[in-house]
Amino acid sequence: MKRVIHHPPASATGKQYWRSLNQLSDTPEFREWLAREFPAAAAEAGPDDVSRRSFLKVMGASMALAGFGLSSCRKPEMHLVPFTKSAEWVIPGKFLYYATAMPRREGAMPLVVTTVDGRPIKIEGNPLHPESNGATDVFAQASVLDLYDPSRSQRFVHNNKLSDRAAFEKYIAELRPKLAANNGAGLAFMVEATHSPTRERIRAELQKQFPRMRWVVHEPLLSEAQHFSTQISFGDSLKLIPQFENADVVLALDSDFLNCSESNLTAVRDFIARRRVREAKDNMNRLYVVENHFTLTGAMADHRLRYPASQIPAFTHALATKIAAATRDPNLSSVLITLKPPTKIEKYDRRWMDEMVQDLIAKSGASLVVAGSHQPVVVQLMVYGINAALKNLGQTLLVRELPKTPRYNSILQLASEIDAGRIQQLFILGGDPVYNAPRAVTLDRKTKQPVNWPGLQKKVPEVIRLGYHEDETSALSRWHVPMTHYLETWSDALTPQGSHVAIQPMILPLFDGWSELDLLAVLAGLPKPKGPELVQETFRATAPTGDFETAWTNFLRDGFAKHVSLKNREPKFNSNSAGGVAHTVWNNELPPPTKDSPEIVLVGSYSTDDGRYINNGWLQEMPSPVTKLTWDNAAIMSPRYARYLGVKNGDLVRITVTDTAKDPRGKLIQRELVIAALIEPGHADNSITISLGYGRKHTGPVGEEAGFNGYLLRTSSNPHYIVADHKAIQSVQVSKAGGSYALAVTQDHWSIEGRGLFREATLEEYRKDEEFVKKVAGDEELPKQLPTLYSHPKLDAPQQWGMVVDLNTCTGCSACVIACQAENNIPIVGKLQVAHGRSMHWIRIDRYYASAEPFNEDYGQYPENPEMVHEPMMCQHCENAPCETVCPVNATVHSEDGLNVMVYNRCIGTRYCLNNCPFKVRRFNYFDYNQRPVGKEKVGFFSVYQEYLGPLTEKTTADTIKMQKNPNVTVRMRGVMEKCTYCVQRIEEAKIAAHVRAGASPNTLIPRDSFTTACAQACPTEAIVFGDVADPETRVSKIKAQNRNYRLLEYLNVKTRTSYLARIRNPNPKMPDAGRIAVASLEHEHEKRVQARELGGPETQPRPRPQTPAPAPTEGTRP
Amino acid sequence: MDGAPTTAPEVIAGEASPSVRPPLARVPLVLNRRNFDWVTNRIAGAVEGPTPRWWWVSFAITGGIAAFGLICLGYQISTGVGVWGLNHPVGWAWDITNFVFWIGIGHAGTLISAILYLLRQKWRTSINRSAEAMTLFAVICAAIFPGVHVGRVWMAWFLAPVPTQYGIWPNFRSPLLWDVFAVSTYFTVSVLFWYTGLVPDLATLRDRTTSKVKKFLYGVFALGWRGSNRNWRHYEMAYLLLAGLSTPLVLSVHSVVSFDFATSVIPSWHTAIFPPYFVAGAIFGGFAMVLTLMIPARAIFKLQDIITPQHIDKMAKIILLTGSFVAYAYAMEFFIAWYSGNQYEKFAFYNRIFGPYWWYWWVGMLFFNMLSPQLFWFRWCRHNIFVVYFVCMCVNAGMWFERFIIIVGGLHRDFLPSSWGLFIPTWVDIWTFIGTLGIFTSLFLIFIRFLPMIAMSEVKIVLPEADPHHVTPEQHHPVAAGGMERT
Repeated sequence: MKRVIHHPPASATGKQYWRSLNQLSDTPEFREWLAREFPAAAAEAGPDDVSRRSFLKVMGASMALAGFGLSSCRKPEMHLVPFTKSAEWVIPGKFLYYATAMPRREGAMPLVVTTVDGRPIKIEGNPLHPESNGATDVFAQASVLDLYDPSRSQRFVHNNKLSDRAAFEKYIAELRPKLAANNGAGLAFMVEATHSPTRERIRAELQKQFPRMRWVVHEPLLSEAQHFSTQISFGDSLKLIPQFENADVVLALDSDFLNCSESNLTAVRDFIARRRVREAKDNMNRLYVVENHFTLTGAMADHRLRYPASQIPAFTHALATKIAAATRDPNLSSVLITLKPPTKIEKYDRRWMDEMVQDLIAKSGASLVVAGSHQPVVVQLMVYGINAALKNLGQTLLVRELPKTPRYNSILQLASEIDAGRIQQLFILGGDPVYNAPRAVTLDRKTKQPVNWPGLQKKVPEVIRLGYHEDETSALSRWHVPMTHYLETWSDALTPQGSHVAIQPMILPLFDGWSELDLLAVLAGLPKPKGPELVQETFRATAPTGDFETAWTNFLRDGFAKHVSLKNREPKFNSNSAGGVAHTVWNNELPPPTKDSPEIVLVGSYSTDDGRYINNGWLQEMPSPVTKLTWDNAAIMSPRYARYLGVKNGDLVRITVTDTAKDPRGKLIQRELVIAALIEPGHADNSITISLGYGRKHTGPVGEEAGFNGYLLRTSSNPHYIVADHKAIQSVQVSKAGGSYALAVTQDHWSIEGRGLFREATLEEYRKDEEFVKKVAGDEELPKQLPTLYSHPKLDAPQQWGMVVDLNTCTGCSACVIACQAENNIPIVGKLQVAHGRSMHWIRIDRYYASAEPFNEDYGQYPENPEMVHEPMMCQHCENAPCETVCPVNATVHSEDGLNVMVYNRCIGTRYCLNNCPFKVRRFNYFDYNQRPVGKEKVGFFSVYQEYLGPLTEKTTADTIKMQKNPNVTVRMRGVMEKCTYCVQRIEEAKIAAHVRAGASPNTLIPRDSFTTACAQACPTEAIVFGDVADPETRVSKIKAQNRNYRLLEYLNVKTRTSYLARIRNPNPKMPDAGRIAVASLEHEHEKRVQARELGGPETQPRPRPQTPAPAPTEGTRP
Repeated sequence: MDGAPTTAPEVIAGEASPSVRPPLARVPLVLNRRNFDWVTNRIAGAVEGPTPRWWWVSFAITGGIAAFGLICLGYQISTGVGVWGLNHPVGWAWDITNFVFWIGIGHAGTLISAILYLLRQKWRTSINRSAEAMTLFAVICAAIFPGVHVGRVWMAWFLAPVPTQYGIWPNFRSPLLWDVFAVSTYFTVSVLFWYTGLVPDLATLRDRTTSKVKKFLYGVFALGWRGSNRNWRHYEMAYLLLAGLSTPLVLSVHSVVSFDFATSVIPSWHTAIFPPYFVAGAIFGGFAMVLTLMIPARAIFKLQDIITPQHIDKMAKIILLTGSFVAYAYAMEFFIAWYSGNQYEKFAFYNRIFGPYWWYWWVGMLFFNMLSPQLFWFRWCRHNIFVVYFVCMCVNAGMWFERFIIIVGGLHRDFLPSSWGLFIPTWVDIWTFIGTLGIFTSLFLIFIRFLPMIAMSEVKIVLPEADPHHVTPEQHHPVAAGGMERT
């Protein structure tokens, strides 16, 4: 007898149990299913009296039909492998969240990591930590992909031969007594900046054992100038913390402080907090920017001066002189008196400077001048002096005490020691000096010729490399040890503001790697730690109150040490020492760049940083927020300079830097780089900007052949900009090299064509006309309710989802793009596919240039000096969605809670919805992107991009990449359409959680603002807000109620659920360019209103638009 | 008119000089006083004779092209739609261009057969058979594209309203679904209509052939036709009914195809003028294709007496007329774009003539479609075979360009300038299209080899002899015993 199993009846009281999520969410379909017990077709057979004969008849017919059916057609086939042993704490399908932090150049970023079944899959900011507040940047978002990078280092290598862990441990064990014997003479470490107190503790321990060892921190993009200047001006072990929330007027001198990844999220958030406008009477800060190339900061500027980076010292000198004269500040004057005024300086509009200075002085104590960290010491010193003169110290600029650390050696000192043969053992922990060390890092002792790092490294008898990839540096090392990812590592770190955060592993090392702390500990004679012991010991030293175990648990749970307080010091600007140092480093002879002798500016990349993320496909494919370039870097130049060179986008240019030094044969030493040109409106003339971090030879398949290596031009004396100063550099020449290079740019058209898609106004205009957004693109002429012929799907769920994007606070940083990619299993498609216009991002950040000057793009005329705006664009979830009506198979439909839902299983891929989408936000899987890695494969004599290989070839996507996938989101196959879903998986998760909480009670609503989408969660400036628009009390509803709210393409009557808040800029009406600010919506009907603008005095009448391409520059101030 | 004495014998003969012919007399539809016997022998003879060498050569070429086109389709289906040049703003390009192009060509046949039949245009009899065959082959070529252009071809049956366990029906609001119904209905009715017309001719071939296999096959398809009065009565009624059924389909199918665009929101697609504009364009392109095929066929098979300059003249006039409709529609599109005051529409049409695809418009639409048919205002041009052929080729190409401009021109630069793009065809795109040309010509070659390319029975009806009152005194040609000639 077969036993009939009955489920126990639901208990009337106490806990509710459920068998499936369907049951829990209690849909009508589920009720029907329950009622019928068997799915519809089976019930037709009459379950009560199924005779054997009728059963066989039905089954036989089914079998026959199954044979007839399309059984041979392809369908994705997947296998589920259950745990053979259940893991503790793991509830299948339930996410777990752990706090950790990502070590970064400027300080760690506090994070919370989502793990499922022991796999970290998604990274968010730590909402408990004030420096993160739940937000992240692109690098943190993308770092989870690095963990699963199939090309990361997986083996111990000794003399370029496979070795193993035991051999390496033996080597270290034998090394220790040798080192101890001679007090560590000949031992050197080259490490990255991680700001880990534990590492510092072990370093001190090592120093005790091996007193003569060398410790070098090498970070190609980390400039010591700011750190050094702070020590000179304010004292040792101090860090300047700008307080943007107190600043009414900010001047950024070549400083990209709004680039979240460059600096820290606090600066961005504080700055944006003063920019957020809720109603017309709110005040805003004002941002002046002087920079050579467009940065995210420049895009946010109210006034932007494009100006060569190498002329910033001269500009700062002129600025400081003006401020010193106006404020009569003795400190600033005493610094300036030591500096001989520059003889020649790049022209700028004098009124621009005068009015800006007036503005800064008028807001003394509430103004802030910041300089880019890569600007030289003298600029930093002058800027500190200016801030002191403006009484900003202690107000907008705080000085914070950091734990004392000894002065480290630089790579230059190490290089000369290697050259002298004094280094026997060099430990390179992280970093990649063979790739990114400055050229001519030292002079050969005998020949007095400059030598490069690779040559030097070969001179060191024993180089031990701990590396994440087997790269150029590993190839020249005796030992290569695989390094762990920070998500596999126990460590700790300080945040940029000095808070102590924990780094705990989310997963055991995938490939048996060692962490930096492991290696240092073993070398210090400690056992290789199995767990958190090393970090615990450091943590103990911070003297947590109460029980240690509880404090430690809290440290790990919260992710940071709450008990460690941050100490600020009374800032006192030491003008004597500052003046003295400034005097010695001041170079007043740096000539302004010219057409024939331009400057080359080397900056970090928005995508690959200094090159460390080159093998990260998400970052490679992320369009640069400014140029929209993917998979490459380029020589970025102004339209005018490109015209002078006779190049267009993608044409190769040859940059030749000739040193004053000569090689043994008496020839001048030259460095050369052939690189593709990319024209950027708003770039300074006679200036070329190159992102570093590309052009690597030895890296994984993703990073290979990507871009051009800017490090080839870089020397230690000119690390950030190269200009012919006739001291070290004889000449800088740029010429057309002939030939061109395919650049994959995701947005070709830069103009908004006056379409009212992006709306902005000045604060003054907004106050005059609070309803200005309604008067763009004819929106006010539309009837409130357009008649409709047919009945639409009912939107009758109690909660209705919607989104709003505040264009005023969006910096364009693209964290949302990567967050969306990580959350929604969006594949990368490779450079060729991006160039074909097939990138799969569900969010794209539209970047437009707006200019009040006349232009005609078809004739190749770019505006010279436009403003830049960013507009995140994702599925707008139209209530009358044009995509839904045209789909012949009902694959895209509307849900009752207002989502435009995409049913992948039903989609046959007619692409009609894509065509009919006015926002072009739908993404079609032209190939099986999830099944095939990017790159080419050899087929016979041909090298074919893998996606073009037919189904008979092998699909080679690595298993580790699959581990990253979010199990709650379908991985789409080729031939189906996809698009932003408002993170429907998060909505459903929240719904189910609400049902769980509700139990038997009827209140199953999701609590107000209790969850959000991946993009909104990642956004450092809270520009994206998602929530229930049916509830007037949610954040999204309140923001949508603001009068700057508008919807795109209102005239189509598609009723988008995503709306935008118009941007407000706050120009100084007295500035000469005030009339050219906030012009993105200056077209069409709006034009009349613009002509009616009354701004400033008679000299500020550039509206209606100036006819000349740019205001005639006047001679710069010459004190 | 019965017994009117003015019908002088020379006039009936027809080939007398026009000066002799009375002013109101019609030029006969078949020249050189060809009789029933000649018609049957000439047309059936083309099918019955040995296969000529040129046929094998042509078929090898077109068949090879068709096969390569099918390989391209196989590659596309197996690997992904990405092997075509499509991208994110441009989701349709050559695929749907080719679809609309072929569907358009498929218009002429049924128009000639059905509408001209209902309008008693007797000249249609010389061309309707091959025009209808061309229609079928064009629709076959057209049907390939919507079938294979989808991302998951093996799921394309979702388009069919099949009651499945999913309980999901197709979306009846989608014009793409209307297309499925419109095209399949059109194809079905066109096949029936063509086949019905073929029955008497198949019987003729059955009766004439000596091969047993052929006799059997023709016999099966001739459905036992005996040429009896009863047969003819049913036949005529069926033909009339099918003509009546086809007539609205001629107008509907391309109107429905135009809805793919007209019901969308894309600037330059969202246009009320599209249905009549598309129908006119289809007839325009279809007639050009009929002439493209008929002019060589008439020369090869020496059918100049049946497909006379008069036929070509009339077709040229239809091309001129429909070409003028099309030109009017083009002009009206521009006018409405300006008159609407809608900046997106205005831009779309500005972009059409000055954008990246400018030459498609200047060459394809302006010169090929609007200007070249204007030659047909001149009688000399309508009667010069080379001019006619040149204009037809212009129109064939021009209509392809027109569809490309409408589809890609509308998509590649729509609302948001950030997502503007370009379409560049790949070799697979190009060879898929050329492949369909191969399929089309191969099918046509098979058709002219195995079936009478001109409706013998219908041509005979328009011969003077078919008139019961007809007498040709000096060249009396008695009907053979048994009425063989009539069949």
